[in-house]
Amino acid sequence: MSTAPPPAVPVPAEPAAASRGPSGLRRRRRREYQLFLAFIAPNFVFLLLFAYWPVVYSAYLSLTRWDMVSPVKRFVGLDNYADLLTDPDFLGVLWTTLLFVVGVVAGSLIIGIATSLLLNQRLRARNAVRTAVFAPYVVTGAAVGTLWLFIFDPNYGLLKPLMGAVGLNAPAMMTDSHWALIGLIVVYLWKNTGFVAVIYLAGLQGLPRELYEAAELDGAGPWTRFRRLTLPLLSPVTFFVLVTMVIQTFQAFDIIAVMTGGGPANATSILSWFIYQQGFQTFDAGRAAGGAIIMFAVLLTITGLQARFLERRVHYR
Amino acid sequence: MTTPPALSRRRLLSAAGALSTAALLAGCAGTVRDSYAQPGGTVPDRYGRRTRVVLWSSFADIPGETLLALADAFNQGQRDIYVEVQFQGSYDDTFRKTVVGRLGGQVPDLVTLSDVTWGKFLIGGALQPWDELARASGLDLGVYNQHLLKEGLAKDGRNYWIPMARSTPLFYYNRTLFKKAGLPDRAPATWFEMRDWAKEFGKVRLGGNRPKMEAYYKQDGDWQFLGSCWQWGGSWSRGLDITLDSPEVAAAGAWQRRLIYRDRLSYMATDAGLDFGNQLTASVVNSTGALGKFATLAKGSGFRLGTGFVPRGHHFGVPTGGSGFCSFKGVPRERQQAAMEFIKFLARPENSAEWTVKTGYLPVVDAAVRTPKLASLMKADPNFTTSIQQLARTRNQDLARLLVPNANVKVYTGLQKIWSDDADPAKVFRQVADQLRKGMDRVRDSIEQHVRV
Amino acid sequence: MTGTTTAPPAVRRNRAARPVQYVLLVLVAVLAFGPVYWLISSALKPGQDIYRYPPEWIPTRLRWQNFADAWNAVPFGHFFVNSSVVAVAGTALELLFAVLCAYGFAFLAFPRKRLLFLVLLGAMMVPGNVTLLPNFLTIASLGWVNTWAGLIAPGLGSVFATFLLRQHFLTLPKEILEAARVDGAGHLRTLFTVVLPLSRPILVTVALVTIVTKWNDFIWPLIVTNSDSMRTLPIGLLYLNNVETSQNWGAILAGTVIVVLPILVVFLLAQRHIIAGLTQGATK
Repeated sequence: MSTAPPPAVPVPAEPAAASRGPSGLRRRRRREYQLFLAFIAPNFVFLLLFAYWPVVYSAYLSLTRWDMVSPVKRFVGLDNYADLLTDPDFLGVLWTTLLFVVGVVAGSLIIGIATSLLLNQRLRARNAVRTAVFAPYVVTGAAVGTLWLFIFDPNYGLLKPLMGAVGLNAPAMMTDSHWALIGLIVVYLWKNTGFVAVIYLAGLQGLPRELYEAAELDGAGPWTRFRRLTLPLLSPVTFFVLVTMVIQTFQAFDIIAVMTGGGPANATSILSWFIYQQGFQTFDAGRAAGGAIIMFAVLLTITGLQARFLERRVHYR
Repeated sequence: MTTPPALSRRRLLSAAGALSTAALLAGCAGTVRDSYAQPGGTVPDRYGRRTRVVLWSSFADIPGETLLALADAFNQGQRDIYVEVQFQGSYDDTFRKTVVGRLGGQVPDLVTLSDVTWGKFLIGGALQPWDELARASGLDLGVYNQHLLKEGLAKDGRNYWIPMARSTPLFYYNRTLFKKAGLPDRAPATWFEMRDWAKEFGKVRLGGNRPKMEAYYKQDGDWQFLGSCWQWGGSWSRGLDITLDSPEVAAAGAWQRRLIYRDRLSYMATDAGLDFGNQLTASVVNSTGALGKFATLAKGSGFRLGTGFVPRGHHFGVPTGGSGFCSFKGVPRERQQAAMEFIKFLARPENSAEWTVKTGYLPVVDAAVRTPKLASLMKADPNFTTSIQQLARTRNQDLARLLVPNANVKVYTGLQKIWSDDADPAKVFRQVADQLRKGMDRVRDSIEQHVRV
Repeated sequence: MTGTTTAPPAVRRNRAARPVQYVLLVLVAVLAFGPVYWLISSALKPGQDIYRYPPEWIPTRLRWQNFADAWNAVPFGHFFVNSSVVAVAGTALELLFAVLCAYGFAFLAFPRKRLLFLVLLGAMMVPGNVTLLPNFLTIASLGWVNTWAGLIAPGLGSVFATFLLRQHFLTLPKEILEAARVDGAGHLRTLFTVVLPLSRPILVTVALVTIVTKWNDFIWPLIVTNSDSMRTLPIGLLYLNNVETSQNWGAILAGTVIVVLPILVVFLLAQRHIIAGLTQGATK
């Protein structure tokens, strides 16, 4: 790790000073360093082994071909990446991922902000509603998937009478490849909206009243106030929600595993499912690792871009 | 005495050393081990001192119960070995758990692997040949149906895959519904005849429903489709060359697409067998091994079950399928030998017959057909003879399906696009063929090393 | 935040909007909670009532047998024990490590400490899906596949908990710590007798969020377990889905309720902490 010269970052305990001081002080300082290492060691060991090392190892695996049965991992250079990026199925996965992420993130943001505006009104029982809205976010994903499978069941599901009431035929949501992704997005919206709404609500409650009073005196209507005041003032919150939701949504897995298993005909196969499928169902370690590294790169890029572009537009108080 | 920074550096270095050891360990996972641990389980007290054999199986329902009963009989019939059957889910689940277990240093002593999965272990050099073990236990492999046994023969002339739950697809039909529609009481000779029949059939109503003629399995429907390819004169591969993008295969796909989208006679079902059992369809093509289950379903829904050869297209074409027994290198010799004893027990004609009678799977031991149990049933219920008669006319599967990793999944995913998206078969199969070619290139060397092409 | 400052004043005067707002509020509540209600009420119905058309909104006949069916179809007892062990032991260890680490970063001197802290934060950028395969191979080489150790170990390093705790520790008044020092308390004693008691709310928050996350975890237990005896509840539910076909929604829904109920109860009892923990970071 560190064979580097003394620290450039000033920290309370300057080693240089220590070596000049009396030996008792030096010993105490040394003990503190040891103690620091002992204190952070458990956490760091697990992070290095299970968070950092896997990135390195994935990168290595992505350069090999290995079926997880035979003893040899054959080095193939960038073949896996070349394969992936010319494979129509994988490009389909990327496209599906894009649709899914945009659908879920944009939907959660819009519905979430609308809900937060409603919950910000001084209405009776709004706290109970806030609880009800947030609850799906903590409910076990596998259970959420099962519950919605039941609701979407083409023969016995709730969707059938509900759509029947307005004279529509319920589609076979999870087995029709035109509907499956839409169905999944609906489920994730249901699960996530509360999270987004509650964060926005906290943001709304922190807004300065005086600004609104002044705006009203200037004759600004509700929509103008929302667009010109609320949204800009909430932009830091939006930034946070956007980053969090994008990262979360990219990694969506449990509900997909329960509801569609990536099907039908790959219609709901997003990148996170693809990585699992390649790694643990079809045992193509190289492709799985390649997919994982691509996902890592995409997320880093998106987070970086979001930070960069939104930074400029985010309104800091 | 070292100065603090140097010391911390040393500490960090040694910590880094420890971590890289762990990391190296991880790097070693998946390399060949000398020995594997046995999966845990529970042994009844009275069997506590015996050699324990863990069998991972893929059989639920009737086949599952039958296998358990046979294992019970085996355990009670001798005093040295205890066979513990552990159900692992579908064929694919069993395969996945075996791969994953093996990476973690654990394999069962005996496992039932399907046609499309066992070859992956073979070409990975993971399997233990059975020949010598059979000799040592006095089992003559000649008792098996040679056509089926040969499918487990590798290039080195040894047997790695002993026939167990072997099958062919059969045409199952609802005799009651057929009669109601005024159709003859037999399977159609060709798919073209079946389509003609459908016109009559269109008038039948059942409890407000209009039953369809047939349905396709959303998953694993590629096995039946392999037969369709042959019936239309195509194939997935010739030798190691992929031929899935031939016009014949596209025509086979186009036929099914037309049945679904133009004629409205068929559809893609999550469980086509269940729909057949519930009389939502009048026929289905599925494994002989489903005979027992369909007989029960038919009784429950109150219809009479019929079977026939799979209809012809332009040609006759029916593959074999199902699963066989494999064992792994690295399992202690003592347990492999004990596993062999169980296989030998199942190879007794009366036990092979019992398995066939209960489940409908093919009798893998030729002599089973002459046992009173099976012989009398074949006389009483013609459904049991259909598969045995058809067996003589089956053909070994194309190598692409057996050995290209996940060829089955790729093809049935392609089929899903045709069946549920009305996609153009020629285009779909061109895409899948490209993938199969890439897959074949990856395993070509290993195949040539291990498999007789 | 008190009620009087929450609503922008203009809205308060707009009395005409009230009824509309209440209608919307009810709609939101129904959309959010309706599915959960439908789950629980259907799980109590006998088969014919589950499949009834038009649907029966309020169950008339209760069938508790659904729960027994689910419990007997798959070994829920094992699942429950495994989930509890993984969530509780995992959380306890993770929290312990996070507390130690946060204390080190907050109060102990070390060269290049900030750089190390950045290294720690960087781990947050690694998506879980990227680590799956290597982590499985690591656990496999340790011989921990299908064990509690294998289920728990990869989740023990924490960035988020450490970060939150460190931020909190830094706000503690220095004088109290120094007083402890003067009394001759070592760092461990200071941590456990002074710092932790002063951090109870944040500890509860972090613990609850961690335990909920571990309870709900899906993909890792799916990969690292391969027998019924080691499955956790979410995986057990997936398994129940496969065992029972759609012919028996009663048992499946009852199983779903078994999985959901503990988490809902914990959420209702401690929602303030859980919401605060999960939305932490939004408002700096």
